[in-house]
Amino acid sequence: MPARTPFNKLIAAMETQLDHGPEAAAVQPVATPTITADGTAIAAPARPWREWLPLFGGLLALALLVLALTRLAPPAVGDRFQTFVTIFLGIFIEAAPFLLAGSVVSGLIELFVDRDTLYRLIPGRPLPAALAGAMLGFAFPVCECGVVPVTRRLYQKGLPLSVGIAFLLAAPVVNPIVLASTYAAFGLGPVLVGRFVFSLLIAFAVGLLFSRAAPEEVLLPQTEEDAHDHHHHDDHQAGAGLGSRLWQALAIGGDDFVDMGRYLVVGSMLAAAMQSFVPQSTLLALGGGPVLSVVVLLALAFVLSICSTVDAFLALSFANTFTTGAVLGFLTFGPMVDVKSSLMFLSVFRRRVVLYLIMLPLLFNLVIAIFINFYGI
Amino acid sequence: MERLLKALSLILLGLFLYSRVVGDAIFFYINERFVTLTLLASGGLLLVGASYYLGNRDEEAGASGPSRARWTGLLILALPFLLGWLVPPRPLGATAMANRELAIGGGPGGLRSVSAPADRATAAVFSGEKNILDWLNTFEQTPELEAHVGREARVTGFVYRDERIGPDSFLVARYTVSCCVADAAPIGLVVRAEGADVLESDSWVEVSGTFRPGEFAGSDIPVLVADSLTPVAQPEQPYLYP
Repeated sequence: MPARTPFNKLIAAMETQLDHGPEAAAVQPVATPTITADGTAIAAPARPWREWLPLFGGLLALALLVLALTRLAPPAVGDRFQTFVTIFLGIFIEAAPFLLAGSVVSGLIELFVDRDTLYRLIPGRPLPAALAGAMLGFAFPVCECGVVPVTRRLYQKGLPLSVGIAFLLAAPVVNPIVLASTYAAFGLGPVLVGRFVFSLLIAFAVGLLFSRAAPEEVLLPQTEEDAHDHHHHDDHQAGAGLGSRLWQALAIGGDDFVDMGRYLVVGSMLAAAMQSFVPQSTLLALGGGPVLSVVVLLALAFVLSICSTVDAFLALSFANTFTTGAVLGFLTFGPMVDVKSSLMFLSVFRRRVVLYLIMLPLLFNLVIAIFINFYGI
Repeated sequence: MERLLKALSLILLGLFLYSRVVGDAIFFYINERFVTLTLLASGGLLLVGASYYLGNRDEEAGASGPSRARWTGLLILALPFLLGWLVPPRPLGATAMANRELAIGGGPGGLRSVSAPADRATAAVFSGEKNILDWLNTFEQTPELEAHVGREARVTGFVYRDERIGPDSFLVARYTVSCCVADAAPIGLVVRAEGADVLESDSWVEVSGTFRPGEFAGSDIPVLVADSLTPVAQPEQPYLYP
């Protein structure tokens, strides 16, 4: 399996990440001072900073560890660590603007998109619905970092499962910006056409597979459409001005950024670790052959986690050494799932579903790319 | 308290991005054309951080959200600026090279060696100020080795020692970055020079010289025979943008 090694690390990371989801909701009433109807404050902790002591302790411990690694470690270790930090910050700094944009859009959707409008716009039958989801990237031009908060917010607004999944998988490719960058790199040809057609088809197919699933089996509890909670802003904000609603949208976006930023950080670190400690030559040496070349580039797409807006330029450098099917697979699979985006999926979906969301596109891409290598495009 | 810490994390992150742009260290991480985006994001993060306090103060925006931040989440989110501020910023150098595929020019098989008219082989062709990437592109467009022999070049890069070449030679190398350092690809020219062995790996040099036929890892390539080697400071933008 191409994704074996990254996958084990992924699972390990999930374990540490996921134990906060449901638990966090349970903590809620204790952490905030709540005023009941008769005016008494309940459960306000005497010293609120106590709850956060581990944060400050952790920060201090990490700072000492980092200082030790840069100042005290032997040069061989220190240089490696430096490379890792540079690549990690590179991926994070590159992705942060896109995640922020996605989070702010999510905040705006929360306050300004009416769920009834959403229902009216999305087709009711599964086939057109999944297709609409796959095309939604033209309405929200987002890359693979920005698409996650937007999808989660749309789910909270009651978006059907299949539509959201098709959107999540297709949007990073099926949007005007990526269309332009792929055209710039490859021109009008089989790679450009293939990339868009197959991204649409695979996203559509995976979305369709989920059209009969029950939301509570697929989504995390906090992602599900909440029957009693989603109206709260209507009650509060009925008379609020536009300015105050915009500020509130920003704050909701901030929550989303904080929530998903940690997945982005962990994903960027994993990708950076693979780049600094696993030689590319081990993968690229396997390069030839109609089957193996596909496996290698799909694995590379997953591990490298390059933003979909520019991956076409990198793929261009593989075009000489790798088969067309492999390059096409790199360009369709990478934007759908990679180390950092699949970690961010964990903030939306249940763990098992994230596995499906990696494996299904992987299988589809393998089959299509190998087929192309044998029979041409 | 939670609201304060969230706002603080966002604002610190925004300040961190801003400090990297102002200090020019941003060029160690991403392609030049994305710097505006980083600047926008830093402003956006400050605005979003401020929104926790500038909006409707009665509204506990954080508490009504789908999930609440816990100390682990904020600790993870603090990692970028923790690492960014404690580890001195440095661009990718010779260490990262070991993990990557180096491009020397002419694709995997090196340049084709075909016999060319003798007069062309000796004529020194003035080539202007081409950087290493321009040279590799030139080699790719004209894969005949003889077409390049005798051309003069002046390039800047860092010193990289490869075990495949002798002690009188080294590679003058750069990384190309199209998006961020995640896609960094090393490129280089083989340089032969007297006194090459005293140059420290990873230090920046300007090399002037003339291309002569040579060989690297079994393929024929143009080797830059140096007339002069000048140690220079690391350029403000250490990467080349394809």
